[in-house]
Amino acid sequence: MNEQNDILRNPACRENPFRMPEGYFDSLEERLMGRIAEENVAETQRKTKPVWRIIKPALTLAAMFALVFGMGYGVLSLTHTLDRGAAVEASGYATAEEELIRPASLINYYQASLAEESELDEETIINYLASELSFSDLAEIYAQSY
Amino acid sequence: MTDQEILQLYRSGEREKAFRGLVSSYKERLYWHIRRMVLDHDDTDDCLQNTFVKAWQSLDRFRGDAQLYTWLYRIATNESLTFLTRQQTRGGRLDLEAANRLSTDPWFDGDKLQLSLHKAIAKLPPKQKAVFNLRYFEEMPYEKISQVLETSEGALKASYHHAYEKIKAALKEEMDEKY
Repeated sequence: MNEQNDILRNPACRENPFRMPEGYFDSLEERLMGRIAEENVAETQRKTKPVWRIIKPALTLAAMFALVFGMGYGVLSLTHTLDRGAAVEASGYATAEEELIRPASLINYYQASLAEESELDEETIINYLASELSFSDLAEIYAQSY
Repeated sequence: MTDQEILQLYRSGEREKAFRGLVSSYKERLYWHIRRMVLDHDDTDDCLQNTFVKAWQSLDRFRGDAQLYTWLYRIATNESLTFLTRQQTRGGRLDLEAANRLSTDPWFDGDKLQLSLHKAIAKLPPKQKAVFNLRYFEEMPYEKISQVLETSEGALKASYHHAYEKIKAALKEEMDEKY
């Protein structure tokens, strides 16, 4: 290192160029003792409320769990209700559809209503129904009977 | 009052007397150390008060394995670094702003060389600034600086050397070559 060019070796660099307000250090101790007294009072107040400081976070946690549980239960309930409705509707429609095309019920109907009024036998009735009426006619008759 | 006398007073129950002894013994050294870090007097006052309050709160935990001197310097340096880092995270550099205001600062009596020097020091990263100030202005041994900053002596020597060269180059740019 070239000491001739080393500007930091100039003694002026190490001198203190800063000043402070007059009497600053004289009042420092009293200001500090005042601040420490305030800190002690604040610390005492914090220590006199230990029960609430313990309960508060526990209550907050319990409330959060209750909220999450309630939301989850609500979503599950709603979903389950919709599924059941659709199932009932689907099963009801399927049942009705099956009933419409079941030939035994139609035979029962005509046996009850016609056979009593005439001397026609069962075979004659069936042949007549099969030859004279369309599927939609048969469905309409059935719907009216039930 | 010596460090031993302060600690003896504290352990015998005379806490306030011990604390006043501590403040009396260290207020000036710690003030100038903090002032060279943060530059502004009011900011220095805040950091210095925080330092002594923390020392008061921690004195019962002081084990005596380190000297009171290095322990207090550590608290003061950490307070200064926390202050400077807090300013950085807020998007500013109060120490740089303060350095730029030094020429019109009523609490700065330096000449052109000293003004340039402290502006160059203000541009260093906070921890490197602490290393430079403790070594250059206070001529603190690396062993003590290591205890204050909790950094190895090797790392401190490297940091100081880089800071020294950076500042020398910055001053050379600004000053007349006759210096």
